[in-house]
Amino acid sequence: MKRLLKYFTYGLLVMFILAGCAKQPTEDINAAQKAVEDLKAAGGEKYIPEDTKKVDDNLSAALNEIKAQDSKFALSKNYDKAKQMLAQVKADAEKVKTDVPSKKEEAKKNALAGQEEARASIKEAKALLSKAPIGKGARADIEALKGDIKGLEDSVPELQQLIEKEDYVVATDKAKAIKEKADGVSNQIKEAMQKVKGKEGGKK
Amino acid sequence: MAFFEYSDKRNPKILVTLGFLLSLILPGCSPPPLPPEVGLAERMNHDLWKAQAHVYASEEYQSYKTTLKNIMDDLIREEARFIWFRDYEPIAERLKAVLRDGEGILEKVQERKEAKRVNTTRQLSDLEERLTGLDRVSLTINEGRLARRSLIKAALMIKEAGLFLDRGDYEGAASRLTMASGYIKASEDILVPIFNRYTDKTLIKKWRRWVDEATAESREKGTSAIVVSKIDRNLSIYKRGRPFKTYEIGIGRNGLSDKLLAGDGATPEGSYRVIKKLFRSRYRKALLLNYPNDEDRREFLRLKKMGLIPKRAGMGGLIEIHGGGKEGMTYGCVSLENRDMDEVFKLVPLGTPVAIVGTASPKDDISITPKKVGDD
Repeated sequence: MKRLLKYFTYGLLVMFILAGCAKQPTEDINAAQKAVEDLKAAGGEKYIPEDTKKVDDNLSAALNEIKAQDSKFALSKNYDKAKQMLAQVKADAEKVKTDVPSKKEEAKKNALAGQEEARASIKEAKALLSKAPIGKGARADIEALKGDIKGLEDSVPELQQLIEKEDYVVATDKAKAIKEKADGVSNQIKEAMQKVKGKEGGKK
Repeated sequence: MAFFEYSDKRNPKILVTLGFLLSLILPGCSPPPLPPEVGLAERMNHDLWKAQAHVYASEEYQSYKTTLKNIMDDLIREEARFIWFRDYEPIAERLKAVLRDGEGILEKVQERKEAKRVNTTRQLSDLEERLTGLDRVSLTINEGRLARRSLIKAALMIKEAGLFLDRGDYEGAASRLTMASGYIKASEDILVPIFNRYTDKTLIKKWRRWVDEATAESREKGTSAIVVSKIDRNLSIYKRGRPFKTYEIGIGRNGLSDKLLAGDGATPEGSYRVIKKLFRSRYRKALLLNYPNDEDRREFLRLKKMGLIPKRAGMGGLIEIHGGGKEGMTYGCVSLENRDMDEVFKLVPLGTPVAIVGTASPKDDISITPKKVGDD
């Protein structure tokens, strides 16, 4: 019996030692934190904000779990759950990060396409203006239309700056607005041209 | 079984000790579950962030986060306690309270967002209205360059603000509207001074006098008179003091201003006469006016003396009523369609009085004075 008791005591001692040795999973923490930072650096907050925030929140929860274990009695410390959480955070951050380039690329593509369309619309308006009748019919006015086109042209560099700053969503909006206005100018000129044609037809 | 049998036989005290030790260790393997409010409060935190509480209720949201953090710290401390002494109840109660706060903040955020949406939508609509008014004014007074450039930029900003609004980004929309307002102000600064001339009673009285003098002479002498109304863009021929025929005209590129110096593109205002009839002109036919007259010279010298006109500036001249089309913009002359010019040329003899005024019908003129920035 004495022998049995001796083994049991040794067993308990080993348990005590092992539990006392449970240490913060520093490597896991660093890896998870780095993965989240990398995600943010890649533009996660801008292009996939909700998922990025979730990953960030999960990291905080994992760190809280570590804190909870840190403050426990040495025997009952257990970082397994924290490790799992950190591994999940790392995996999620890496997964979300892989989605960022496609989202970014899509936004960039939209912005560039918008910019191209806006430029084409301005070009068309300018070309029409150069062919426009001396007058413009009704109350529209050549000088006014020239001013309008100039104003639109002034806005194109702003659009370029937004694209360079990778502010693609705002750039897309601006491009849309420029295109719409430029098309409006073209339509006014076309209407004026139609009026002149109509008048010429009447003379015959 | 052998062990128990063996132990039982040899020393029952050992069994009791082992049992006691196991009873200490085993409960540690299954700690009591955390209160469900922990997850709810964390989800609420995320919902608040998603609803943009950091924008619309930043102080309250900060306070929520601080309280939640304190509770979570206490939870961690509670978790660290020996299992028998853990009590999550007070923490659960505090979490319930913080959840109630969160719901309140969420409501507040929704209310503020809605107020912002309504306010921004109203602001957008006001600016659109002002823009339309100014657009009309700029076309009316032929101010085609600088004012239009600002107006189109304002229009772009308003359009962008609309897109931000559609996305629910009211802050972004508001910032675009602020920029739009700046551009509108810039165009008003150009347009309003020109426009204000048309509400100046002294000026209107003077214009009235010139028109009356010209038509009175036509009536008394049984001859013709010409009245050019710049804002109405028309030229009227009077015969024996009565309106005979009216033609549409074009004026200078800065036509609604009074001519002050050479090259300003303004069409002069005053009481003039036809001093030469040009059967052949660059613009079909032309009637040369005696601009500058004595009054123009006096005004020019006065303004120069005051430093309002550059020292080296000249007065300009050769102001005509000519053909070439009413749509083109002149350097200050009055232009008509060629067929109209042919008629006018026939109807008007040398020496005909010509009154060029801002408006010949001041009573029903300026009803489209633009609203100034900041006016309600």
